[in-house]
Amino acid sequence: MQIKPILSALRHHKAGTILIAVQIALTLAIVCNALFIIQQRITMLTRSTGIDEAHLIRLQNQWVGVDDKHVGSLMQTDLDTLRRLPGVADAYATNSTPLSNGGWSTGIGLKPGGKGERVQTAIYFADDHTLDTLGLKLVAGRNFRSSEVVDQMQHDGLDPPQVIVTRAVADKFFPDGDAVGKRVYLGNKPSIIVGVVARLQVPWVGGWAANWEGRSTLVPRRLMASGTNFVIRAKDGQIDKVLHSAPAALLASDRMRVIPDDDGVVTFAQMRQEAYQSDRGMAILMGVICVVLLGITAAGIVGLTSFWVGQRRKQIGVRRALGATRRDILSYFLTENLLIGATGVVLGMLLAVGMNQWLMNTFEMQRLSWPWIVSGVIVLLALGQAAVLAPAIRASRVPPVVATRTV
Amino acid sequence: MLKMTHLSKVYRTEVVETYALRDFNIDVKEGEFVAVTGPSGSGKTTFLTIAGLLETFTGGEYLLDGVDVSGLNDNARSKIRNEKIGFIFQAFNLIPDLNVFDNVEVPLRYRGMKAAERKQRIMDALERVGLASRLKHYPAELSGGQQQRVAIARALAGSPRLLLADEPTGNLDTQMARGVMELLEDIHREGATIVMVTHDPELAARAQRNVHIIDGQEVDIAEDPRFHAEHAASSHV
Repeated sequence: MQIKPILSALRHHKAGTILIAVQIALTLAIVCNALFIIQQRITMLTRSTGIDEAHLIRLQNQWVGVDDKHVGSLMQTDLDTLRRLPGVADAYATNSTPLSNGGWSTGIGLKPGGKGERVQTAIYFADDHTLDTLGLKLVAGRNFRSSEVVDQMQHDGLDPPQVIVTRAVADKFFPDGDAVGKRVYLGNKPSIIVGVVARLQVPWVGGWAANWEGRSTLVPRRLMASGTNFVIRAKDGQIDKVLHSAPAALLASDRMRVIPDDDGVVTFAQMRQEAYQSDRGMAILMGVICVVLLGITAAGIVGLTSFWVGQRRKQIGVRRALGATRRDILSYFLTENLLIGATGVVLGMLLAVGMNQWLMNTFEMQRLSWPWIVSGVIVLLALGQAAVLAPAIRASRVPPVVATRTV
Repeated sequence: MLKMTHLSKVYRTEVVETYALRDFNIDVKEGEFVAVTGPSGSGKTTFLTIAGLLETFTGGEYLLDGVDVSGLNDNARSKIRNEKIGFIFQAFNLIPDLNVFDNVEVPLRYRGMKAAERKQRIMDALERVGLASRLKHYPAELSGGQQQRVAIARALAGSPRLLLADEPTGNLDTQMARGVMELLEDIHREGATIVMVTHDPELAARAQRNVHIIDGQEVDIAEDPRFHAEHAASSHV
């Protein structure tokens, strides 16, 4: 190998060498973190809510001129109307749903009055139709009974005697898998866990719920408020039909209501699209930044190497005259680029970790794992070698007779 | 050692063919010091580039150390240049980014020689040219004469069968030129075969034998009227 003379020669081209090494370092640091953010966003975009989104519709309803105390009978009438509709498998009313980006949350723990260890949990109002409507998988215990579902005024304390929790909540307090029948506290009174569902994502898809996105608690309550959400499960192949028939049926039964035109009746596929729009945009933006940055770095390497090849044309001819083969010249430029690239990626690794630390502190991003950095290093070194190939091949074609020319 | 028979080199464009060498013959024996002389444009440099396998020729035959080089591919030609030929250029052609030691090492690295042997050869060659104390100096830190001595050390380090020198004193003042010529004469006395291209009659006179080229052909100096015409023109300048 000719590493020593290459290093020696590079010492005489410090400006260009440092410029490219720093460019590679910055590119590595930014690309590693950007790809990591993209990966996190994609994981978020594709994660399951735990519900059967393909068959579900959310209908937002606002009764007009009705006292909250009298909502119960209206809600029951509407649910009966919806459940009787052709193409509807089931329906229930709730305060919130996954992907809605709005809902209730509270602390849950093993001691009353907010004492002891507590974790954040989303609160979903539910009834005996909820599990079937959402298609939730009950992994332990039982469903709510209709007799357990009672009315709840918006500002009353929340102390239901029974709750169904997700496995994420159950495992937090009862890691041995024996949560059913145990007491937990949302407020001051105990709630008995009657069932455990495999997964039910919280309503929020953003960063603040990232660490507890699977911790949800179903309470057997009907929310006494003029605004409510109906979740409707359509039978196979009927979702488009129900999308139109459900609001029409409700309006036909009682016109004293408002169902917003734009987002009053939406499928969960549409809700997913809407909920992750900014994450998708961010992933695309990061991707574009990565591509542009990699392109600029590659162009920089091509430019500098081409300049060096032109500048050293005579020198290349001399080397050829002294016995260098075309392969030797090619290898010289590839090795030279590898050495600059290696310096750049070592610096870049440190920068990537530093940048990640800053992102962790500022934006609560997760820690960048080493495989991401190693992958970035491989990509950058490969990019460098690919970028240098064309000018290096050009250099290898410089004929030895150039050594005898004076200009 | 170096034998060219009916050798020709033609540069072709769409409209014209130019003969740089035409029916050229030369036979340099082992251990000879031959000066190839001639006016500018006579074909001296073309002869040197072909002799050094830096360029291919168009017709005829060229035997180097008994090997017909006409059919060799680029790699084989590189190998022969590296192992059998030592070049001394008019412009020295040292690599400015490398110090004296690294410059002399260049051809040895391409030979795949081990580091210890390389070092020994480099030291021997630099001792031979009197520059062993300048190992860490860069070309820009040396005088022209010293740079040419480094170039000679680089040529000698590989123990070549043939030294090709292209106007080796062309870029040097008289005193430095004298020193370099004395060094070449010493090297020749030790048994080296040297072919030196020059347009300087004084330098040529120090070689054992002169081959004169005019219009791409070797000529007998005593009989060729073109030489006398050229010589007369040179004398009046």
